[in-house]
Amino acid sequence: MASSITFENVHKSYGMEEALRDVHLSFADNTTTAVVGPSGSGKSTLLQLINGLERPNRGKVVVFGQAIDYSRLPALRRRIGYAVQGTGLFPHLTVAQNITLLAALEKWEPERIQARAEELMKLVGLPLGFASRHPHQLSGGQQQRVGLCRAMMLNPKLFLLDEPFGALDPITRGEIHEEFLRLQKAEPRTMILVTHDLKEALKLAQHILILNQGRVEQHGRCHEVVRQPANEFVANFLKSQLEG
Amino acid sequence: MTLLFSLRVQHRAHLHVFFLLLLAGVMSCSRQSTVIVGAKHFNEGYILSEIMAQLLEDRGFAVERKFGLGGTKICFDALVNGEIDLYPEYSGTVAQAILKLPSQVSYSELQQILQRDHHLELLDSFGFNNTYALALSRSVAEQLELNRMSDLSKFPNLRFGLSYEFLNRQDGWPGLAKAYHLSAQPVGIEHGLAYQAIRDNKIAVTDVYSTDGDIKKYDLLVLEDDRHYFPTYLAAPLVRADLDAYVKEILKELAGTLTETEMQSLNAEVLIGNKSFAEVAQQFLSVEGLLQNKHLASEENKWILLLRRAATHMKLTLIALLAAMAIAIPLGVLVYRLRAIARPVIYFVGLLQTIPSIALLAFMIPFFGIGATPAIVALFLYALLPILRNTATALFSVDPLLKKVSVGMGLTAWQRLRHIELPLAAPTILAGIKTAAVINIGTATLAAFIGAGGLGEPIVTGLALNDTRLILEGAIPTALLAILVEFGFEMLERLLIPKHLLQKAAE
Repeated sequence: MASSITFENVHKSYGMEEALRDVHLSFADNTTTAVVGPSGSGKSTLLQLINGLERPNRGKVVVFGQAIDYSRLPALRRRIGYAVQGTGLFPHLTVAQNITLLAALEKWEPERIQARAEELMKLVGLPLGFASRHPHQLSGGQQQRVGLCRAMMLNPKLFLLDEPFGALDPITRGEIHEEFLRLQKAEPRTMILVTHDLKEALKLAQHILILNQGRVEQHGRCHEVVRQPANEFVANFLKSQLEG
Repeated sequence: MTLLFSLRVQHRAHLHVFFLLLLAGVMSCSRQSTVIVGAKHFNEGYILSEIMAQLLEDRGFAVERKFGLGGTKICFDALVNGEIDLYPEYSGTVAQAILKLPSQVSYSELQQILQRDHHLELLDSFGFNNTYALALSRSVAEQLELNRMSDLSKFPNLRFGLSYEFLNRQDGWPGLAKAYHLSAQPVGIEHGLAYQAIRDNKIAVTDVYSTDGDIKKYDLLVLEDDRHYFPTYLAAPLVRADLDAYVKEILKELAGTLTETEMQSLNAEVLIGNKSFAEVAQQFLSVEGLLQNKHLASEENKWILLLRRAATHMKLTLIALLAAMAIAIPLGVLVYRLRAIARPVIYFVGLLQTIPSIALLAFMIPFFGIGATPAIVALFLYALLPILRNTATALFSVDPLLKKVSVGMGLTAWQRLRHIELPLAAPTILAGIKTAAVINIGTATLAAFIGAGGLGEPIVTGLALNDTRLILEGAIPTALLAILVEFGFEMLERLLIPKHLLQKAAE
């Protein structure tokens, strides 16, 4: 079966600086792919090409089986969950308003909105009493959970995560990882997770994509990549990360 | 504060004309029609206008007073545009400052030119000549044995403080210095302040009008114009030719009723006797036996008057502020969206801010006449910048991460603006509106110069009379109003904006 997200000879540069060079790949559906690599390797650019925050200079990005229509980006983006480092919660809105903003704009019935919001908050372990609080009244871990609820509100089939757990302390991060795995089990979907932490990648993802200087060095199942590094860079990268 | 156009030349000749014009107006219209009487911003102008207004009211006309108009140009333009029906003017001023005639002309020639070129009628003079003169304190004059202007050249070190209009008029200082070979370097000074400056020995010589009540009050000596340099300034009513003929007829009754000494004492009664213009005018009319109905306008209660002025003041400010919000906030959004136009637009609006308020008010007159409209337009222009700049700055400085997330999660441009960017920018935008409101309340005091009323009225009158009490009567309520508005906006902030966002804005 053809993958719903593919890159065909995608090239992206910012002025003279080349962020991605001739990337040609397909993401596995309904599973989690981690994108790892040294900083500046093009991880975030790759992610932002999928929801149209970046446009390729050359090549084609296909999402949900169709080339991206750049004149209708908002409609596409609503089918894609998006979470970033530092949560990006809107400070003027309550927790409930942050989570339900998109559903309200999609004109869902109020009962349906409330039911879905409560379902999600329970799923990630947020007390329902938090609904009326503002983001600044929550801890970093709680904010992160709200961010996940917001991204999942419309039940998107595709989920983009740009180092969402980067700013958390180790204990909170461990807890959130468990929530994440439980979510993926409860509502399986295609997830693409950008992280600089290889251990996190191996814990949360089934597939891994290793980038270096805008090129894909290796892409495959986690255990295969760990067992058989494709080249010297990948071997060194794995070694340095796993030993460190 | 400096008046852009000043008032000096005209004091005497114009009252008569004014009255005649009023008469003419009354004849042609029904008695119910309202006659709009203007007055220049100085003591004598107020008294003469009040005399004409009360006379017309006595004869059954409804009169609207637009007093305290900034100066010659403002009054004359207002008359030509039909914003007012009549005001007292001076023959010399008409010839020199308005018509800019190269040579002296007779009174009847002047009347013909006005009728022909401007459709205005200069009625017969009230009877006195309020000409320019130079004056200095009597004690200094006696010490130096100074009586005539030709003696002045012997004392080149005397300090001259002259009104701005006199300094710049063709028939003022430049010609005078030539005629009398004077080498002094005069400084400009607001006329109302010159007398005090003489008393305090800050200046020695100033220009006066020969009917000034202050000459008496400050015990000044008027120097004899022994080379007959100054033209005559016969005061007379200047009226629109299309004014009711009956109004003109009534005003003609005032012809020849006032001599220079009589005018001086009317002026002094206001200045020294602390009587109101209305009292002095009413007293004059009854002594002259001109009143028929003996119907007296009752003095308005002071507090009611204050409230009425404050209400007018708030109305001017509020309309201008709302209009500025309606333009500046969308413009701020536009500037945010189209960065290319940001700088030119903000610079242009900033440029408007640099125009001095009095000048801006004067520029408005050819387009909007006098009264509330030009004042509101000017206040509107001043309110644009703070609101525009704060709106644009606030939108530009919304956290880039939040912008990226709101785009990434699929909000359209309009939804981002409506649900994310504008709410986050709201504290800063509100602060801009507050700044504009407080600036406007201060600036609106100047609107009285073009007849818009408000709390500036007593300030303008007080400046004309050099009366600190009157100035404070306008200045203190204005300051209180500004504080009240500031306080009101703080309450609004607390009501509309979550506390944690306010703290963030303050950081």
